Amino acid sequence: MRQLSLAAIFLAVFASTAASSQAPTDNDQTMRAMRDEMARSKARLELQIPPSGKPVRPYYIEYRLLDMDVREVVAEYGALVTSTHNRNRLMNVAARVGDYKLDSSNFISEEGFRGFIGPSGNVGIDRDYDSLRQDLWIATDQAFKEAVETYSRKQAYLSSLARQSDIEDFSRVEAIQHMEPLATSDWSNRNWEQEARETSAALRVFPQIYESRVMYYLVYTTEYLLTSEGTEVRSNHSFAAIEAGMNTLADDGMQVNHYYSAYAPRPADLPGVEAVRKQLNVAGSELMGMRSAPTASDYTGPVLFESRAAAALVAEALGPSLSGARPPLAFQAVVEQLMSSLGARSDWSAKVGARVLPETVSLVDDPSAKEYKGTLLIGGYAIDQEGVPAEKVTIVANGKLKNLLMSRRPGSDFEASNGHGRAAFGIDARPTMSNLFFTASETLSKDDLKKKFLDACRSEKLDYCIVVRQMDNPSISVMHQEDFTDLLASFGGNAATDRLPLVVYRVYPADGHEELVRGARITGFSPRSLRNIEGIGNDDYVYNYMQNQSAGIAGTALGAFGTAQNGLPASVVAPSLLFEEVEVRGARGEPKRLPILPEPPMTPKGSK
Amino acid sequence: LNQQTSATLRRRSYLSLSILLVAGVAFPGVPRLAAATPDSQEKPSPLFEVMKAELDRSMKTLGTQDPPAYFVSYTITDTQRVTVSGSNGALLNSDEGRNRWLEVAVRTGSYDLDNTHKVDGRQPPNGGPGTNAPLDDDAEVLRRAIWLETDKQYRAAAEAFIKIKAGKEVKVQTEEGRAPDFSREKPHVFTSSWASFTLDRKPWEQRVREYTSYFRQSAAVINSIITFTAQAQNTLQINSEGSQLQFGQVRYRLELFIQGKAADGMDIDRYYNFDWVNAGDAPDDKAVYAAAAQLRKEMEGLVVSPLNDPMVGPALLTGRAAAVFFHEVFGHRAEGHRQKDVNEGQTFAKKVGEPILPSFLSIVDDPTMKKLGKQDLLGYFQFDDESVNGERVVLVDHGVLKSFEMSRSPLAGFPHSNGHGRRQIGAAPVSRQGNLIVESNKTLTNAELRAKLVELIKQQGKPYGLLIDDIAGGFTFTGRGQPQAFQVEPLVVYKVFADGRPDELVRGVDIVGTPLAALTKIVATGDTPEVFNGYCGAESGYVPVSAAAPAILTSELEVQKKQTSTDRPPILPPPAHDAAKAGGLR
Repeated sequence: MRQLSLAAIFLAVFASTAASSQAPTDNDQTMRAMRDEMARSKARLELQIPPSGKPVRPYYIEYRLLDMDVREVVAEYGALVTSTHNRNRLMNVAARVGDYKLDSSNFISEEGFRGFIGPSGNVGIDRDYDSLRQDLWIATDQAFKEAVETYSRKQAYLSSLARQSDIEDFSRVEAIQHMEPLATSDWSNRNWEQEARETSAALRVFPQIYESRVMYYLVYTTEYLLTSEGTEVRSNHSFAAIEAGMNTLADDGMQVNHYYSAYAPRPADLPGVEAVRKQLNVAGSELMGMRSAPTASDYTGPVLFESRAAAALVAEALGPSLSGARPPLAFQAVVEQLMSSLGARSDWSAKVGARVLPETVSLVDDPSAKEYKGTLLIGGYAIDQEGVPAEKVTIVANGKLKNLLMSRRPGSDFEASNGHGRAAFGIDARPTMSNLFFTASETLSKDDLKKKFLDACRSEKLDYCIVVRQMDNPSISVMHQEDFTDLLASFGGNAATDRLPLVVYRVYPADGHEELVRGARITGFSPRSLRNIEGIGNDDYVYNYMQNQSAGIAGTALGAFGTAQNGLPASVVAPSLLFEEVEVRGARGEPKRLPILPEPPMTPKGSK
Repeated sequence: LNQQTSATLRRRSYLSLSILLVAGVAFPGVPRLAAATPDSQEKPSPLFEVMKAELDRSMKTLGTQDPPAYFVSYTITDTQRVTVSGSNGALLNSDEGRNRWLEVAVRTGSYDLDNTHKVDGRQPPNGGPGTNAPLDDDAEVLRRAIWLETDKQYRAAAEAFIKIKAGKEVKVQTEEGRAPDFSREKPHVFTSSWASFTLDRKPWEQRVREYTSYFRQSAAVINSIITFTAQAQNTLQINSEGSQLQFGQVRYRLELFIQGKAADGMDIDRYYNFDWVNAGDAPDDKAVYAAAAQLRKEMEGLVVSPLNDPMVGPALLTGRAAAVFFHEVFGHRAEGHRQKDVNEGQTFAKKVGEPILPSFLSIVDDPTMKKLGKQDLLGYFQFDDESVNGERVVLVDHGVLKSFEMSRSPLAGFPHSNGHGRRQIGAAPVSRQGNLIVESNKTLTNAELRAKLVELIKQQGKPYGLLIDDIAGGFTFTGRGQPQAFQVEPLVVYKVFADGRPDELVRGVDIVGTPLAALTKIVATGDTPEVFNGYCGAESGYVPVSAAAPAILTSELEVQKKQTSTDRPPILPPPAHDAAKAGGLR
């Protein structure tokens, strides 16, 4: 076993591929090794705790294993940069001490136990019996000791509190057995390296784009789960992504970025070269437009989010609110505050029955959905990471909050899981959306919505109003760590309510002309901002994206958008949304210095 | 000196709160690349043309800026790498990859005073570790990468230089501080054939499975990892002084690593590495199993061995242990830049021409040596990372300190580099060791050395002496703010008794001391040099080095108790060694 580095464990559960019911006839010893080590651990794992000498045993043990087959191809301007193909197996063992009511979980303690090997690691890829037994043995030992340590810290902390919560720590579920036959990776007969070269070459026509990069990321996984409660799962998943970032500097030194992304349940479903070249050309042209566009000014007034932007806005603003699980107990108040300021607290907890969206709006999360009007969705799965069958959940009906997404961690409103415990591998499962549908019973046509928007603009006597065509995903569009760090710092305490629009236009009601602007930011946009919506379009957009799973900000508004490498697939379907009053902040921040030398030449190249 | 290859950092993880800012040089596995491999004729890479064009353009403009760039260099490192790892009897991973990394160095100011000048002992920030360069030989794409990276490095160098000039005027300069910041060296033009290898991973996949399953036979081994790596690294380097270098090297390595735990919770690791250069020199099964058996035996002994008490007394270090000892205790202190830095202890700065070792010992650092006896030396290189050819340097001649390992950061009295400016990809070069070779003309056979050890034990009236057979990379304080002490961690230590009792394996000791005192206590050496190959970590990252020394007998060595883990040993026995077999008791 090789211990996992933190960076290695951001890999998640993907859209479940079709399962057939035939019995496995492979030579996969994984489940047998897990069962045997589980049996031994359940029967004999025990520690005497020094003062009392009282024996402590785990009441719950969970073995998870992720078998990954990953191809990653990166190209820029038609030249290959890297191309890798790796197969890895990651193991994660969790143990809980205490009981369902109060256990060792869900506690951020001052300092954790660090075993010298640890409960997570890279394990052998042979699907053999003996090496996995050895690895599970030591990982179980470490997980159990960590749990004992955390449990005693948590008890000590709880005893210092005046009032203790009566919410239980872990909900019970019925054990399930679900064994899919092993799937083999299908890379299709497409030449991914050549596709990356050809698509990335599309940006050669924009010599003023300083940097650009196109990544193909293709993944097949087999996930294993065995719990001491008797749940046994072996399931196959796949996922494919194309992500491209690009940047330049405006003449005043402002950095402007753009991105393109496409996601699909399987590599074969990814768009082909010409389609990607076309989209990259659109993004490149927009970036060139932004480069010479005027900077945004401060603005308060009507804002129309066209459906592509609206779907991303819904994902970003509502994502954290959908969770019904109790947030972790933190040893230090400062951690609690940090989590709150990042937007990790659900705005909707303890609001069941209250109106949280307009009365015409419903919100449904459906992990079983595969497509929407011909567009493939990527957020689906059959069984969540805690071995709970996924359920379709009506979160909001006619504007009123009915349900929240639940993992096995109970919250103040609901106790039982509805099969939404998801997370990147190695991270505790938390309630997370899959395919989220934002639907309205009263909608407007595109023209009517535009008219309503312009009317609102005129009645406010504004010279122009703002239309947002696309939201940013800085995890993809920002290509350098230092720039990303600067961006994070710029949020300050507003990380939970600042939103980053990418393609923003001013629309002048006098003559209807539009003007692209750069550097705009939306501020003060909380889940409450969605309670009142002036107009809802009938133009649903399917926004496929990756929910960020990076440590620290996963599950927060700030971490809404991630990348194929660090994210969890999700889809949001939403129409255009018109808001009466949104605050837009104009461009801020230090300009960069323009390069001293002009850019060297770049000759356009076609595909093939 | 870190014996294990450092974990390579992979992809960006921007949002991670534990952001790793070190040189993110990855060696991603790339299977069967379609990218063209330059042919192996001894002709310069076509990439030089575009590197030269952009270098000329940059110098022309940046050389007239304020502050001016007076030196620019471009380095492209093309790395082909195969990694095959096994653990506990199974294959862990098997990857092949290729990667090209671009580094741009820009110096602003002048050779006498430039942007690298330390102020208050602090190294001014540079513009980062570099960037990926395309694997395809696309001149325009490479040129764009060089353009942006040059601009970035110039900005950082200009900013640093302006700050240095502002700070320098008010600082009183030490004598060492008067040496220029960058030495003038004659340019080199050199082209060697492109280094590459082809290999079938399958046999190695089977070998790492079998070797690691051998360790599962021992209940003392909790975890085992064996890693085979093959790496071909080719460097293209040009600079504004006229150097144009193309050189490359293939290296193979097999590393054996096992972990165990003593009953009191102390973590115990054992490690062994084979390094070779020609594919045909790979260790055979017999050699690997012999090393594995030795590690296993030591692990089984160590997990049940007693903790040793602190003591001061005579000790015998076997060759490999002595080699690491010299690397840590002497070699790092003979690195030129440490004599210059006001924050450094400068242990040897004022000792040139003075005896620092017994007169029967001489030490050279010779990166031009490919082998010592039959053993390949990992510290061999043709050119260092500052376009200077590696030279043999006599550091100590019959006990008298003569010189230092020099990079292009000169010292008063040592105005030139001797080709020891080295770095891990992404870091700025500093003076580092290559092949540190300890030579002796007072040699004894192993039996004579041991007899002499026993004699010393009796003479000093000690109950026992120590036999130290393996030393881990320790850490050595060279900074002025810290005690001028060293601490190295011996991994395999035996008590040797004067009364003829069998040796007793012990654990839990660190060797401590001060270098000037420790080195003079050496009384005799063995007659056979042994080689240690490893990767040494310091300011400029990990670089491959060798150290070679005969066994040494010292009249006085101090050991102290080492910090131990409070973790408990595993509760259950290993699955393969559980008397209650298979599924356990239900």
